[in-house]
Amino acid sequence: MLTLSARFILGGVFVYASFDKILHPAAFAEAVYNYQILPDGLINLTAIVLPCLELVLGIFLIINFWMPGTVVMINLFLMTFIGALLFNMARGLNINCGCFSTTAVESSMNILTVLRDTSFLAIAVYLLYAIFFSRK
Amino acid sequence: MAIFRSVEKNKEKIYKATYFQVAWQACAMFALSILLAFVINQLRSDRFPLMGNWSIKAKHTTPDGDRLDISFEKAKKLFMEKSALFIDARSMDEYVKGHILGARCLPLHDVDRRFIEVTEDISPDTLIITYCEGATCELSCDLALFLLDMGFNNVRVLLDGWTEWTKGHLPVEKGNTVS
Repeated sequence: MLTLSARFILGGVFVYASFDKILHPAAFAEAVYNYQILPDGLINLTAIVLPCLELVLGIFLIINFWMPGTVVMINLFLMTFIGALLFNMARGLNINCGCFSTTAVESSMNILTVLRDTSFLAIAVYLLYAIFFSRK
Repeated sequence: MAIFRSVEKNKEKIYKATYFQVAWQACAMFALSILLAFVINQLRSDRFPLMGNWSIKAKHTTPDGDRLDISFEKAKKLFMEKSALFIDARSMDEYVKGHILGARCLPLHDVDRRFIEVTEDISPDTLIITYCEGATCELSCDLALFLLDMGFNNVRVLLDGWTEWTKGHLPVEKGNTVS
């Protein structure tokens, strides 16, 4: 029951987070650019592919498909994302995280953004445990 | 001992199989996402280019191809010669906390309301330098493009202006002085 809830919550978050980015690739590309991590040549490609990867991972998590790969990818995804947030916070960049919305309405990233993503990572780590270590 | 070794070997086999399973599933999901992304992008009426020009040069170039950015050294020289007017594109709150000496305040988000009040005594040929704060701040660039649209023909942008100015220990002031 706990695993089912975790799958639906995290899957729902990934699917929801992907919609606005898929609809507005130019605005999401601007958010990716603002992170100042990727080389210029990869910004548009990332803005096009990353939201679809989020969508695929979210759907697979909900429908319980390819779980080992999905759960590992989701953990890596969240860890990379939290790392990027912390990296930019540490160097004092004041930007929108572009997590759920590509509009400027979304507030700038701060420690609450990191805490929110860390709570998602906690769910993902639980799923990792449930998939790989509790099936004996 | 033999049983122990056989259990260890079995465990190793299971681990290898799991790594392999995770690896091919991850690759397949990447491939599926890339395919999905390209299909969605092809179906879009305003197809998004796979490669974009994100260089500072491209971002600070007018549609006519003119460069907008000005170097810190040149901006400093113009300031000392009093031959440029600085306009702060940040919010009024940030302006009040500190701004370039003599700069006017024209926050981009309030530009429609404050434009006439701030610019009515500026001639169209005046050299205007806009600035904001932060390496990714777009306010100064957007304000410069707006001013060009409004008929000012000599507008430049000082990238990450406020940070550079304070780092260079150049004259600043606080409060709402000349806005």
